[in-house]
Amino acid sequence: MKKFGWKQWVVALAFLVSLSVAIFFVVRAVRPIIYWHYHQDEPIRGWMNIGYVAHSYHVPPHVLYLALALPHKPPDKRPLREIAKAQNRSMDEIRSLLLDAIVHARPPYPPPPPPPPDPGSSP
Amino acid sequence: MSITDQLLAALVTHGVPLLVAVITISSVGVPFPVTLTLVAAGSFARQGELSLLPVIVAASLAAILGDQIGYGLSRWGGRRLVVRISRRIGGEHKIKKAEALSNKWGGFGIFFSRWLVTELGPWLNVTSGIAGYPWRRFIIWDVLGEVLWVVLYVMLGYVFSDRVQYISEILGNLAWAILAFIVAIILGWKLFRYFRPAVSVTA
Repeated sequence: MKKFGWKQWVVALAFLVSLSVAIFFVVRAVRPIIYWHYHQDEPIRGWMNIGYVAHSYHVPPHVLYLALALPHKPPDKRPLREIAKAQNRSMDEIRSLLLDAIVHARPPYPPPPPPPPDPGSSP
Repeated sequence: MSITDQLLAALVTHGVPLLVAVITISSVGVPFPVTLTLVAAGSFARQGELSLLPVIVAASLAAILGDQIGYGLSRWGGRRLVVRISRRIGGEHKIKKAEALSNKWGGFGIFFSRWLVTELGPWLNVTSGIAGYPWRRFIIWDVLGEVLWVVLYVMLGYVFSDRVQYISEILGNLAWAILAFIVAIILGWKLFRYFRPAVSVTA
Protein backbone atom coordinates (compact mmCIF):
# COMPACT_ATOMS: atom_id res chain seq x y z
CA MET A 1 0.00 0.00 0.00
CA LYS A 2 1.40 3.39 -0.99
CA LYS A 3 1.92 6.11 1.61
CA PHE A 4 -0.50 9.03 1.89
CA GLY A 5 2.01 11.89 1.46
CA TRP A 6 1.28 15.64 1.70
CA LYS A 7 0.69 15.86 -2.06
CA GLN A 8 -2.04 13.21 -1.83
CA TRP A 9 -3.60 15.08 1.12
CA VAL A 10 -3.75 18.25 -1.00
CA VAL A 11 -5.31 16.37 -3.96
CA ALA A 12 -7.81 14.63 -1.65
CA LEU A 13 -8.76 17.95 -0.04
CA ALA A 14 -9.16 19.62 -3.45
CA PHE A 15 -11.26 16.64 -4.58
CA LEU A 16 -13.60 17.03 -1.58
CA VAL A 17 -13.83 20.81 -2.05
CA SER A 18 -14.67 20.51 -5.76
CA LEU A 19 -17.22 17.78 -5.05
CA SER A 20 -18.86 19.98 -2.38
CA VAL A 21 -18.92 22.94 -4.79
CA ALA A 22 -20.53 20.73 -7.46
CA ILE A 23 -23.22 19.53 -5.03
CA PHE A 24 -23.82 23.12 -3.88
CA PHE A 25 -24.48 24.27 -7.47
CA VAL A 26 -26.65 21.24 -8.24
CA VAL A 27 -28.83 22.15 -5.23
CA ARG A 28 -28.97 25.76 -6.45
CA ALA A 29 -29.97 24.56 -9.93
CA VAL A 30 -32.66 22.25 -8.57
CA ARG A 31 -34.16 24.91 -6.27
CA PRO A 32 -35.79 27.00 -9.06
CA ILE A 33 -37.11 23.79 -10.64
CA ILE A 34 -38.88 22.86 -7.38
CA TYR A 35 -40.08 26.44 -6.90
CA TRP A 36 -41.34 26.45 -10.49
CA HIS A 37 -43.19 23.17 -9.91
CA TYR A 38 -45.03 24.46 -6.83
CA HIS A 39 -45.46 28.17 -7.49
CA GLN A 40 -45.65 28.52 -11.29
CA ASP A 41 -45.09 32.30 -11.15
CA GLU A 42 -41.48 33.40 -10.95
CA PRO A 43 -40.45 36.11 -8.48
CA ILE A 44 -40.52 39.70 -9.77
CA ARG A 45 -36.97 41.05 -10.17
CA GLY A 46 -35.56 44.51 -10.77
CA TRP A 47 -34.36 43.75 -14.32
CA MET A 48 -37.88 42.91 -15.53
CA ASN A 49 -39.99 45.50 -17.32
CA ILE A 50 -43.77 45.76 -17.08
CA GLY A 51 -44.28 44.06 -20.44
CA TYR A 52 -42.28 41.05 -19.30
CA VAL A 53 -44.08 40.79 -15.93
CA ALA A 54 -47.44 40.91 -17.75
CA HIS A 55 -46.21 38.20 -20.15
CA SER A 56 -44.84 36.04 -17.33
CA TYR A 57 -47.95 36.34 -15.12
CA HIS A 58 -50.38 36.16 -18.07
CA VAL A 59 -52.24 39.38 -17.27
CA PRO A 60 -52.98 42.34 -19.59
CA PRO A 61 -50.11 44.89 -19.40
CA HIS A 62 -52.41 47.91 -18.94
CA VAL A 63 -53.45 46.55 -15.53
CA LEU A 64 -49.85 46.74 -14.34
CA TYR A 65 -49.22 50.18 -15.87
CA LEU A 66 -52.33 51.39 -14.04
CA ALA A 67 -51.05 49.90 -10.75
CA LEU A 68 -47.86 51.96 -11.06
CA ALA A 69 -49.76 55.06 -12.27
CA LEU A 70 -48.04 54.97 -15.66
CA PRO A 71 -49.62 55.52 -19.11
CA HIS A 72 -49.89 52.24 -21.04
CA LYS A 73 -49.05 53.89 -24.36
CA PRO A 74 -46.36 54.21 -25.49
CA PRO A 75 -45.27 51.16 -23.48
CA ASP A 76 -42.74 52.01 -20.78
CA LYS A 77 -39.82 49.63 -21.34
CA ARG A 78 -37.73 50.70 -18.35
CA PRO A 79 -36.76 47.97 -15.89
CA LEU A 80 -38.74 47.99 -12.64
CA ARG A 81 -35.72 49.06 -10.60
CA GLU A 82 -35.46 52.23 -12.70
CA ILE A 83 -39.20 52.90 -12.34
CA ALA A 84 -38.87 52.41 -8.57
CA LYS A 85 -36.03 54.95 -8.48
CA ALA A 86 -37.98 57.47 -10.56
CA GLN A 87 -41.05 57.08 -8.31
CA ASN A 88 -39.03 57.19 -5.07
CA ARG A 89 -40.26 53.73 -4.14
CA SER A 90 -38.48 50.62 -2.99
CA MET A 91 -38.47 47.49 -5.16
CA ASP A 92 -40.57 45.80 -2.43
CA GLU A 93 -43.26 48.47 -2.82
CA ILE A 94 -43.25 48.09 -6.61
CA ARG A 95 -43.42 44.32 -6.24
CA SER A 96 -46.36 44.41 -3.85
CA LEU A 97 -48.27 46.93 -6.02
CA LEU A 98 -47.80 44.68 -9.06
CA LEU A 99 -48.69 41.48 -7.18
CA ASP A 100 -51.84 43.13 -5.82
CA ALA A 101 -52.87 44.15 -9.35
CA ILE A 102 -52.05 40.64 -10.64
CA VAL A 103 -54.18 38.97 -7.95
CA HIS A 104 -57.13 41.22 -8.85
CA ALA A 105 -56.73 40.53 -12.58
CA ARG A 106 -57.02 36.77 -12.14
CA PRO A 107 -59.94 34.49 -11.13
CA PRO A 108 -61.93 34.48 -8.89
CA TYR A 109 -61.98 38.22 -9.64
CA PRO A 110 -63.81 39.26 -12.84
CA PRO A 111 -61.56 39.82 -15.89
CA PRO A 112 -60.12 43.34 -16.00
CA PRO A 113 -61.78 45.92 -18.27
CA PRO A 114 -60.14 46.68 -21.63
CA PRO A 115 -57.43 49.36 -21.68
CA PRO A 116 -58.66 52.96 -21.73
CA PRO A 117 -58.41 54.71 -25.13
CA ASP A 118 -55.18 56.56 -25.94
CA PRO A 119 -55.26 60.18 -24.91
CA GLY A 120 -53.98 61.12 -28.38
CA SER A 121 -56.32 58.97 -30.50
CA SER A 122 -59.41 60.41 -32.16
CA PRO A 123 -62.84 58.97 -31.19
CA MET B 1 -29.07 50.12 -11.00
CA SER B 2 -27.20 46.83 -11.38
CA ILE B 3 -25.36 45.90 -14.56
CA THR B 4 -27.98 43.20 -15.26
CA ASP B 5 -30.81 45.75 -15.13
CA GLN B 6 -28.93 48.14 -17.38
CA LEU B 7 -28.06 45.44 -19.90
CA LEU B 8 -31.58 44.08 -20.16
CA ALA B 9 -33.14 47.53 -20.32
CA ALA B 10 -30.69 48.43 -23.10
CA LEU B 11 -31.44 45.13 -24.86
CA VAL B 12 -35.10 46.08 -25.27
CA THR B 13 -34.21 49.61 -26.38
CA HIS B 14 -31.20 48.97 -28.64
CA GLY B 15 -31.86 45.34 -29.64
CA VAL B 16 -29.36 43.38 -31.74
CA PRO B 17 -26.44 45.92 -31.76
CA LEU B 18 -26.40 45.86 -27.95
CA LEU B 19 -26.55 42.05 -27.95
CA VAL B 20 -23.55 41.94 -30.33
CA ALA B 21 -21.53 44.29 -28.10
CA VAL B 22 -22.31 42.38 -24.88
CA ILE B 23 -21.55 38.94 -26.30
CA THR B 24 -18.35 40.03 -28.06
CA ILE B 25 -17.00 41.66 -24.89
CA SER B 26 -18.02 38.74 -22.66
CA SER B 27 -16.40 36.22 -25.06
CA VAL B 28 -13.13 38.09 -24.61
CA GLY B 29 -13.47 37.50 -20.86
CA VAL B 30 -15.42 40.37 -19.28
CA PRO B 31 -17.87 38.79 -16.80
CA PHE B 32 -21.27 39.98 -18.05
CA PRO B 33 -24.52 38.15 -17.14
CA VAL B 34 -24.57 36.72 -20.65
CA THR B 35 -26.71 33.64 -19.88
CA LEU B 36 -29.57 35.82 -18.66
CA THR B 37 -29.06 38.20 -21.62
CA LEU B 38 -29.32 35.38 -24.19
CA VAL B 39 -32.32 33.71 -22.51
CA ALA B 40 -34.01 37.12 -22.18
CA ALA B 41 -33.30 37.84 -25.87
CA GLY B 42 -35.17 34.61 -26.72
CA SER B 43 -38.07 35.68 -24.53
CA PHE B 44 -38.17 39.19 -26.04
CA ALA B 45 -38.19 37.57 -29.49
CA ARG B 46 -41.23 35.55 -28.46
CA GLN B 47 -42.92 38.72 -27.19
CA GLY B 48 -42.26 40.45 -30.52
CA GLU B 49 -39.74 42.96 -29.10
CA LEU B 50 -36.87 41.43 -31.14
CA SER B 51 -36.70 39.20 -34.25
CA LEU B 52 -35.58 35.62 -33.60
CA LEU B 53 -33.35 34.97 -36.63
CA PRO B 54 -31.30 38.20 -36.42
CA VAL B 55 -30.83 37.53 -32.68
CA ILE B 56 -29.43 34.03 -33.34
CA VAL B 57 -27.22 35.06 -36.28
CA ALA B 58 -25.87 38.21 -34.61
CA ALA B 59 -25.24 36.53 -31.24
CA SER B 60 -23.39 33.62 -32.90
CA LEU B 61 -21.22 35.96 -34.99
CA ALA B 62 -20.50 38.13 -31.93
CA ALA B 63 -19.44 35.12 -29.85
CA ILE B 64 -17.19 33.83 -32.64
CA LEU B 65 -15.66 37.31 -33.12
CA GLY B 66 -14.98 37.67 -29.37
CA ASP B 67 -13.30 34.25 -29.30
CA GLN B 68 -11.08 35.17 -32.26
CA ILE B 69 -9.99 38.35 -30.45
CA GLY B 70 -9.07 36.33 -27.32
CA TYR B 71 -7.29 33.67 -29.36
CA GLY B 72 -5.52 36.19 -31.62
CA LEU B 73 -4.24 38.38 -28.78
CA SER B 74 -2.82 35.40 -26.90
CA ARG B 75 -1.46 33.70 -30.01
CA TRP B 76 0.41 36.71 -31.40
CA GLY B 77 1.07 38.57 -28.16
CA GLY B 78 0.83 36.23 -25.19
CA ARG B 79 2.66 33.32 -26.81
CA ARG B 80 5.67 35.48 -27.71
CA LEU B 81 5.78 36.77 -24.14
CA VAL B 82 5.50 33.31 -22.58
CA VAL B 83 8.23 31.91 -24.88
CA ARG B 84 10.54 34.83 -24.04
CA ILE B 85 9.98 34.44 -20.28
CA SER B 86 10.41 30.65 -20.37
CA ARG B 87 13.70 31.05 -22.28
CA ARG B 88 14.97 33.32 -19.55
CA ILE B 89 13.81 31.37 -16.51
CA GLY B 90 13.68 27.91 -18.05
CA GLY B 91 10.65 25.69 -18.61
CA GLU B 92 10.59 25.42 -22.40
CA HIS B 93 9.77 21.74 -22.00
CA LYS B 94 6.57 22.78 -20.20
CA ILE B 95 5.50 24.78 -23.25
CA LYS B 96 6.11 21.73 -25.44
CA LYS B 97 4.04 19.65 -23.01
CA ALA B 98 1.23 22.25 -23.07
CA GLU B 99 1.30 22.27 -26.88
CA ALA B 100 1.02 18.47 -26.99
CA LEU B 101 -1.83 18.54 -24.48
CA SER B 102 -3.61 21.27 -26.42
CA ASN B 103 -3.25 19.37 -29.70
CA LYS B 104 -4.63 16.21 -28.13
CA TRP B 105 -7.54 17.67 -26.10
CA GLY B 106 -7.89 21.18 -27.59
CA GLY B 107 -10.81 20.52 -29.94
CA PHE B 108 -12.78 18.67 -27.28
CA GLY B 109 -12.15 21.46 -24.75
CA ILE B 110 -12.93 24.28 -27.18
CA PHE B 111 -16.23 22.69 -28.28
CA PHE B 112 -17.56 21.92 -24.78
CA SER B 113 -16.38 25.21 -23.26
CA ARG B 114 -18.50 27.07 -25.84
CA TRP B 115 -21.88 25.74 -24.72
CA LEU B 116 -21.64 23.38 -21.74
CA VAL B 117 -18.99 24.81 -19.39
CA THR B 118 -19.20 28.38 -20.65
CA GLU B 119 -17.15 29.84 -17.77
CA LEU B 120 -14.07 28.21 -19.29
CA GLY B 121 -14.60 29.68 -22.78
CA PRO B 122 -12.42 32.83 -22.53
CA TRP B 123 -9.68 30.84 -20.74
CA LEU B 124 -9.62 28.19 -23.44
CA ASN B 125 -9.26 30.94 -26.08
CA VAL B 126 -6.17 32.22 -24.29
CA THR B 127 -4.61 28.81 -23.61
CA SER B 128 -5.30 27.67 -27.20
CA GLY B 129 -3.57 30.79 -28.51
CA ILE B 130 -0.58 30.48 -26.19
CA ALA B 131 -0.20 26.75 -26.89
CA GLY B 132 -0.29 27.47 -30.64
CA TYR B 133 -3.41 25.39 -31.34
CA PRO B 134 -3.96 25.60 -35.14
CA TRP B 135 -6.37 28.43 -35.97
CA ARG B 136 -8.26 26.47 -38.65
CA ARG B 137 -9.11 23.73 -36.18
CA PHE B 138 -9.87 26.31 -33.49
CA ILE B 139 -12.42 28.12 -35.64
CA ILE B 140 -14.21 24.90 -36.69
CA TRP B 141 -14.75 23.79 -33.07
CA ASP B 142 -15.52 27.38 -32.09
CA VAL B 143 -18.24 27.89 -34.73
CA LEU B 144 -19.86 24.52 -33.91
CA GLY B 145 -19.86 25.18 -30.17
CA GLU B 146 -20.95 28.83 -30.28
CA VAL B 147 -23.84 28.24 -32.70
CA LEU B 148 -25.03 25.37 -30.49
CA TRP B 149 -24.74 27.60 -27.39
CA VAL B 150 -26.67 30.51 -28.91
CA VAL B 151 -29.41 28.35 -30.46
CA LEU B 152 -29.81 26.34 -27.23
CA TYR B 153 -30.01 29.31 -24.86
CA VAL B 154 -32.07 31.60 -27.11
CA MET B 155 -34.53 28.80 -27.91
CA LEU B 156 -34.88 27.94 -24.22
CA GLY B 157 -35.74 31.60 -23.66
CA TYR B 158 -38.13 31.50 -26.61
CA VAL B 159 -39.93 28.33 -25.51
CA PHE B 160 -40.03 29.27 -21.80
CA SER B 161 -40.49 32.96 -22.55
CA ASP B 162 -42.40 33.58 -19.31
CA ARG B 163 -39.74 31.88 -17.13
CA VAL B 164 -36.52 33.75 -18.01
CA GLN B 165 -35.35 34.13 -14.41
CA TYR B 166 -35.83 30.43 -13.64
CA ILE B 167 -34.15 29.23 -16.84
CA SER B 168 -31.11 31.47 -16.48
CA GLU B 169 -30.68 30.49 -12.79
CA ILE B 170 -30.88 26.79 -13.71
CA LEU B 171 -28.43 27.15 -16.62
CA GLY B 172 -25.97 29.31 -14.68
CA ASN B 173 -25.85 26.94 -11.71
CA LEU B 174 -25.66 23.82 -13.88
CA ALA B 175 -22.66 25.21 -15.77
CA TRP B 176 -20.78 25.76 -12.48
CA ALA B 177 -21.85 22.32 -11.20
CA ILE B 178 -20.53 20.62 -14.36
CA LEU B 179 -17.25 22.53 -14.10
CA ALA B 180 -16.81 21.50 -10.44
CA PHE B 181 -17.70 17.87 -11.29
CA ILE B 182 -15.07 17.81 -14.06
CA VAL B 183 -12.44 19.09 -11.59
CA ALA B 184 -13.56 16.47 -9.01
CA ILE B 185 -13.37 13.66 -11.60
CA ILE B 186 -9.83 14.70 -12.66
CA LEU B 187 -8.65 14.88 -9.04
CA GLY B 188 -10.40 11.62 -8.13
CA TRP B 189 -8.75 9.93 -11.12
CA LYS B 190 -5.33 11.23 -9.98
CA LEU B 191 -5.88 9.74 -6.51
CA PHE B 192 -7.17 6.47 -7.93
CA ARG B 193 -4.15 6.12 -10.22
CA TYR B 194 -1.78 6.77 -7.33
CA PHE B 195 -3.36 4.19 -5.04
CA ARG B 196 -4.44 1.46 -7.44
CA PRO B 197 -2.39 -1.70 -6.94
CA ALA B 198 0.33 -2.28 -9.52
CA VAL B 199 -0.73 -4.85 -12.12
CA SER B 200 1.58 -7.83 -11.90
CA VAL B 201 2.38 -9.50 -15.18
CA THR B 202 2.93 -13.21 -14.79
CA ALA B 203 4.13 -15.42 -17.50
